[in-house]
Amino acid sequence: MALLELRDLTVRYGGRARAVEAVRGVSLTLDAGETLGLAGESGCGKSTLAMSVLRLLPSSATIDGQILLDGEDVTTMKWGRLRAVRWTTAAIVFQGAMHALNPVRRVRDQIAEPIVLHADTPPSAAAVRKRVDALLAQVELPAAKGEAYPHELSGGQKQRVMIAMALACDPRLVIADEPTTALDVIVQAQVLSLLSRLVAEQDIGLVMISHDLAVLASTCRRLAVMYEGRLVEEGDAKQVIADPRHEHTRSLAAAFPTVGDPVFRYAPATSNELGLPDPPSAVPDDEPLLRAEDVRVTFTGRGRREVTHAVAGVDLDVRRGEIVALVGQSGSGKTTLARTILGLQQATGGRVLFEGEPVPASAKGLRAYRRQVQLVLQDPTSALNPRHSVYESVAEGLRIHKVGGDERAHVAAALEAAELRPAEEFMPLLPQQLSGGQRQRVVIAGALALEPRVLVADEPVASLDASVRGEILALLLRLRAKLGLAALVITHDLGLAWNIADRVAVMYQGELVEVGPVDEVLSDPRHDYTKSLLAALPTTGEQ
Amino acid sequence: MTSPRAASPRALAWRRRGDAFAAGWRQFARQRSGLFGLGLLLVIVALAVLAPVLTDREGLNVINATGGPLEAPSGEFPLGTDRQGRSVLLLTLWGARMSLTVGFVAALLSIGIGTIIGILAAHYGRWVSAGLMRITDFFLVLPSLVLAIALSTVLNPGIGTVILAIGITSWPPSARLVRAQTLTIEARPYIERSRALGGGHLHVITKHVLPAVLPLVFVNTTLAVGSAIVAESTLSFLGLGDPDPMRPSWGSMLRSAWLDSAVIAGAWWYLLPPGIAIAIVVLAFTMCGRALESVLNPRLREG
Repeated sequence: MALLELRDLTVRYGGRARAVEAVRGVSLTLDAGETLGLAGESGCGKSTLAMSVLRLLPSSATIDGQILLDGEDVTTMKWGRLRAVRWTTAAIVFQGAMHALNPVRRVRDQIAEPIVLHADTPPSAAAVRKRVDALLAQVELPAAKGEAYPHELSGGQKQRVMIAMALACDPRLVIADEPTTALDVIVQAQVLSLLSRLVAEQDIGLVMISHDLAVLASTCRRLAVMYEGRLVEEGDAKQVIADPRHEHTRSLAAAFPTVGDPVFRYAPATSNELGLPDPPSAVPDDEPLLRAEDVRVTFTGRGRREVTHAVAGVDLDVRRGEIVALVGQSGSGKTTLARTILGLQQATGGRVLFEGEPVPASAKGLRAYRRQVQLVLQDPTSALNPRHSVYESVAEGLRIHKVGGDERAHVAAALEAAELRPAEEFMPLLPQQLSGGQRQRVVIAGALALEPRVLVADEPVASLDASVRGEILALLLRLRAKLGLAALVITHDLGLAWNIADRVAVMYQGELVEVGPVDEVLSDPRHDYTKSLLAALPTTGEQ
Repeated sequence: MTSPRAASPRALAWRRRGDAFAAGWRQFARQRSGLFGLGLLLVIVALAVLAPVLTDREGLNVINATGGPLEAPSGEFPLGTDRQGRSVLLLTLWGARMSLTVGFVAALLSIGIGTIIGILAAHYGRWVSAGLMRITDFFLVLPSLVLAIALSTVLNPGIGTVILAIGITSWPPSARLVRAQTLTIEARPYIERSRALGGGHLHVITKHVLPAVLPLVFVNTTLAVGSAIVAESTLSFLGLGDPDPMRPSWGSMLRSAWLDSAVIAGAWWYLLPPGIAIAIVVLAFTMCGRALESVLNPRLREG
């Protein structure tokens, strides 16, 4: 008998009249000890599918079809039985460990919670303690960490705690919903290997949900791809990735490039008819347009004792029409460096030069400088004022700089340049009426309206879906080819650097440890840190 | 696309505001207490505004008073008369003008100061914030009644002094509230985007911060009017209001009722009308304010 069997499962949200089908007729089976990866973009119904297994859906959801957990139908279970099944038979590692832990309780007590809840007779404190220590050991955390509160742990440690919680009642099935999304590459690799080890050792069935095929391929044996609520492809993970049959799988596989594979060089996945510009011929080795000289930023903590060197002496050039990728883990100081270059953050030492001139410190001089160097933020949803229409958002810069001429024509041109066509139709819309990719295009259009020379983009695609990601990156490449726009792209994603950048600068603890052409640095890394970054990349298993 | 293509962005923005207002009104209309309070307020304001049309102001003049001292309610004087023989109904009606004016203007003054200080403190941060918030703290711990009394004695007695006294003593809570709201707005990435576009302080404050803070300010003004009316009554009752008998307020009516020993004389009709009027107006403002609050702050809306 299969551990988990879904038979023609359909989940609808909302009332009968305006029901939205999140999952449409999905059938799946999973045996004990098997690992299944569930891939798809946001909104494809993969999380709904996972939550339906334990009936953790909001009350507005209606479920049709059967969910057999160990041969027993979850949809018809009585409340008491369902309560018993939750966590003892199947457990969930929730998305976003940062928010799924209670901030005011010790980690140890949170792990113990299901143990105490599901015991027939209340277990002794010593027994619970022993069990929690064993669980912490399983996820490779020292027992002393149990006394910590969630905010005292790092992201990776929190995710380990979540896994320990899921294992607390010896479930036979573990569902991991995007377990590594918010984590760094290196931490991600550690968490993934931990999950794989535990599943193999304890003969647990694992359903892992992710939008990243490489992550799934490195942990799961089988792979299922969802698209618009339907299961469009299922099969052996290696085979699905190597030879995707459905179009959507193909675009998902292409969205995450293989670093080092020349096929993906200067070729982000795009289905736009404009295509991609030719790879640039040798970058002209002329004067740098933007130059950071020995830039230092130091933050002083309370009491002036704790001093953090966020940026510790960085030299970086961006030449005309060049795309430079600034790569590093979170906390490496890359965002602070970008803010300093834009003049949003005061440098403690060193200076930033634009066209050979130091960036002015006066309000008026800074304003003129900012017309030349524009910023694109990470999350387009929060980067646009929800009260401003697309037109107002794009025109904001024009109004600030009192650009003369026909404002409407300028806005239309900027929207066209960001490939929002027809521009007229987008102008009256509010940000919440747009998709994530369109919002990011509006942010880019707002920057382009001022006809800048350099674009500083902070994780421009980190919060976007896989298919949109390629389109935005392709847009950056086309803008460079058409307008000669230089860009400094900040990212934690080496694949992005491989996709579009000419040069890459690797940042580690406030310093640039390696700078050079992308092909050289990523193919033949010199510095240990770059090597470990590359080694931590999940691979689709072909190498 | 439903919108006509030729419409200018400004017209579109105004239409959007109109739509938002209509949606807000529908939310407001769903709350019975809010509607009731609004209706009550409209009636009271109409009566106060129309007082010169409906009645003769000369009736307030002590020399022209027609009734006897402390007459009980009768057909001629529905709410009786005061010690000077003036109609209490007439006094209450004209008192509404005074109390409402002081309430509105003082509330606007207080919220105005609070909003400006709150936004400036949150926007500039660092030492500006530290300085402004220390000033706010100073006013917060100052006993407001004592300060108001001190001010009223130093300045010439009159409506202006009362308004100033109330305005200056009641702004700190709204400054703290607006500062907190501004801080959350300032943390949004679109503020950073605006800065990177080259926007200065004025641009960020007027285009992004103020529109986001205004709903909160609006709700607070409504709630503040009620407490300003109570404060005005208190000051007038203590004899710090306008001494002119031709310009009565509810507070000064209560004062003269007390001075004329209305309780001992058993003249309940002299005490109750201004007291009840204060209670009703404050209640109406509070009901309106709470309803508005739940419209503009979705977090307070019940599931």
